[in-house]
Amino acid sequence: MNGFLIVNGLSGLLIVSSLLVTLAGNPANSARFYALQSFILVMLFVALAGATGSGELYLWSFTALLTKVILVPAIMYRAFRRLSDPTIGSGAVMPTALSIVGAAVALILCFVVASKVTLPAADAIKPALAVSLALFFIGLACIVAQRNILKQVFGYCLMENGSHLTLALLAPNAPELVEIGIATDAIFAVVVMAALGSRIFDTLHTLDARQLTSLKG
Amino acid sequence: MTAMVPSILPPLLLIGPLAVALFLLTLPWFRDSLPEAFATDKGSVTLLERIHLGSVGYVFLLSVAALIQVLSSGAISAFGDWLFVDALGAVFMMLIGVVGLMTGLYSIAYIRHDLESGAIDAGKVRIYYGFFSLFLFTMLLAVTANNIIMMWAAIEATTLGSAFLVGLYGQKSSLEAAWKYVIICTVGVAFGLYGTVLVFSNAADVLADPHQAVLWTALVGHAAELDPMLVKLAFVFALIGFGTKAGIFPMHAWLPDAHSEAPSPVSGLLSGVLLKCALLIVIRFYVITVGTVGTGFPQMLLLTLGLLSVGVSSLLFFVQQDLKRKLAYSSIENVGLIVVALGVGGPLGIAAALLHAINHSVTKALFFCSAGNVLMKYGTRDLRAVKGVLRVAPATGLLMMGCALALAGFPPFNIFVSEFMVFMAGLNEGYGWIMALCALFLCITIAGLVKIVADSVLGKSPETMAKGDVGWKALAPLGVLAVLVLTLGFAVPQPLSTLVQQATAVVMNGDSRPVVAAPWQTYDRQTYDTARAGGQLVTGSLSQTEISK
Repeated sequence: MNGFLIVNGLSGLLIVSSLLVTLAGNPANSARFYALQSFILVMLFVALAGATGSGELYLWSFTALLTKVILVPAIMYRAFRRLSDPTIGSGAVMPTALSIVGAAVALILCFVVASKVTLPAADAIKPALAVSLALFFIGLACIVAQRNILKQVFGYCLMENGSHLTLALLAPNAPELVEIGIATDAIFAVVVMAALGSRIFDTLHTLDARQLTSLKG
Repeated sequence: MTAMVPSILPPLLLIGPLAVALFLLTLPWFRDSLPEAFATDKGSVTLLERIHLGSVGYVFLLSVAALIQVLSSGAISAFGDWLFVDALGAVFMMLIGVVGLMTGLYSIAYIRHDLESGAIDAGKVRIYYGFFSLFLFTMLLAVTANNIIMMWAAIEATTLGSAFLVGLYGQKSSLEAAWKYVIICTVGVAFGLYGTVLVFSNAADVLADPHQAVLWTALVGHAAELDPMLVKLAFVFALIGFGTKAGIFPMHAWLPDAHSEAPSPVSGLLSGVLLKCALLIVIRFYVITVGTVGTGFPQMLLLTLGLLSVGVSSLLFFVQQDLKRKLAYSSIENVGLIVVALGVGGPLGIAAALLHAINHSVTKALFFCSAGNVLMKYGTRDLRAVKGVLRVAPATGLLMMGCALALAGFPPFNIFVSEFMVFMAGLNEGYGWIMALCALFLCITIAGLVKIVADSVLGKSPETMAKGDVGWKALAPLGVLAVLVLTLGFAVPQPLSTLVQQATAVVMNGDSRPVVAAPWQTYDRQTYDTARAGGQLVTGSLSQTEISK
């Protein structure tokens, strides 16, 4: 059972790190915190692999280390470092305190949902399962309540980490190729978003989503 | 589940457009080592066009070949069943083949015009054709995937593949449209991923072999053993996720922007094919969900969202003044109607949904390309400025008029046949008031379409406008599409009705053969009897030869 305790404990850190990603002052810092979060996720995968004895999960941890901790944050850091739009500040639409309260409420709701899942695989890891769902919705909130288009990209990354964690928790023996498919897709998504974001900045000289409102009706 | 026939066709189908896309998009890296013709951007435009034509022609031929094999020997598969084409997938594969070819042919004239007018430079031509093939590849992957994670990845890839096409012109508005498209769709499809993960993890627990749990065909076979709560949750997630991509209200916000800002052939491809591919994934999840929790829950959701889509979009359609945005709202409406038909259910409802998907695809691709002609001629999409198309460009005007009448659901155009089937199915299943509401909303659309014909197609042309149509290269592919629109409106051809019947059987997960025909078509004895036995309202009659037997 000890392994599962570590899994559930680490999942708590994921919530903290997702708040750091969301609330960081600029996109480059968000990229650093995102790398941190992914590192926690990898440790969680390793702990889960130990607890469930799943060989596939060790492989996952390795590919996740390559893609989520190193590659994706590096791409974003490089692409976003030179882009800054001082007019929008942190870009957050809501005050920080409210964001934290919101995350807490989301987490509680997700605990309620997770407690209703009856799968035997989910028994020992219900707190982590709730966190994975909450992570998904915190990511969504990060997109909706963000004016900085580059930080919206991180929202997507958080959502993706959330679904990834759900997959690992509920199906630790999933074929490795499944995981690779998801990871590759996420890399391409981030590359495309970063490329588009950079072009928008170069053409329109703004990163503010509120400036992108010429199309209506 | 019947065994699938191994076939080389699905991978062959995918490899062509993928190879072309990779070649074109990585061309600058090894251009120096290629023959002279590739050396300059300007000189290579013709060459790029030929490669592009090769790609769309290849996709068309291979999809016809795959279709023939599916019709003759049942579902085909490859790579340990990871790729497969069943009758259901074949319907959508054919849409990619046919509409891909026609919009691909039309692209030649359209992109040349953009190049000459300076809207894009020669480098962008390569980007355009490269991403066009990539877009086709990602859609083909989505419809041939049996692996549900791959289905998700392919739908996600369609967004990434087409984002640069939407933002091709690099202007403020097109970049904005591309950004909204990418953000809304990736976030939407992230919901799809969550739904997919839920189904997969659930099945991995139930099925002995986790490698099987990822296959749609295996999931359908074991749907009854899945956890009802999780499957319901997964369906909601999948419907939100893939429904975003299909343009279902209220997740449709990206659609009018992307459709109006993309180059017209791409608008045709987005509306005609992409939305339908996403719908296919929704249908695949629907089949699993019905197997686990029955029809009540998914049908209720589909009916609600479908009706809302039809209602909201018909109003927005009416007030819109931008031609391509108007057409985009009409796409939302038609997708809504397809979703309503799915929600109505029963063999006839499913068949009606599939036939309407096919008919709308062809008609809307034609309309968007005609709008492209208008754009080439008038240089604007604003309907207040576009007047007298029939006088200025007679062929385009005629095509637009035909499209508008077809979309309005007048016979003898194809949309009439499938809309008639949708209403027949709805009344048959006891959804009278929903159908009445749909009819009311469709009336609003008809008013809007009549307005297009009266003000813009007819009307008085601006005096400064030079007379003369766009070139034959732009008109020929549209002519082919127009012939399709008319032919499918006169009668549903035998191979197509067989295909739709078989696809319906896949969705119903059993053998049920609804009559797929225009109301005035006569039946042979067997079809007639099936129709009556199945409780279908028989609108057609027995053919003379059958009666005299």
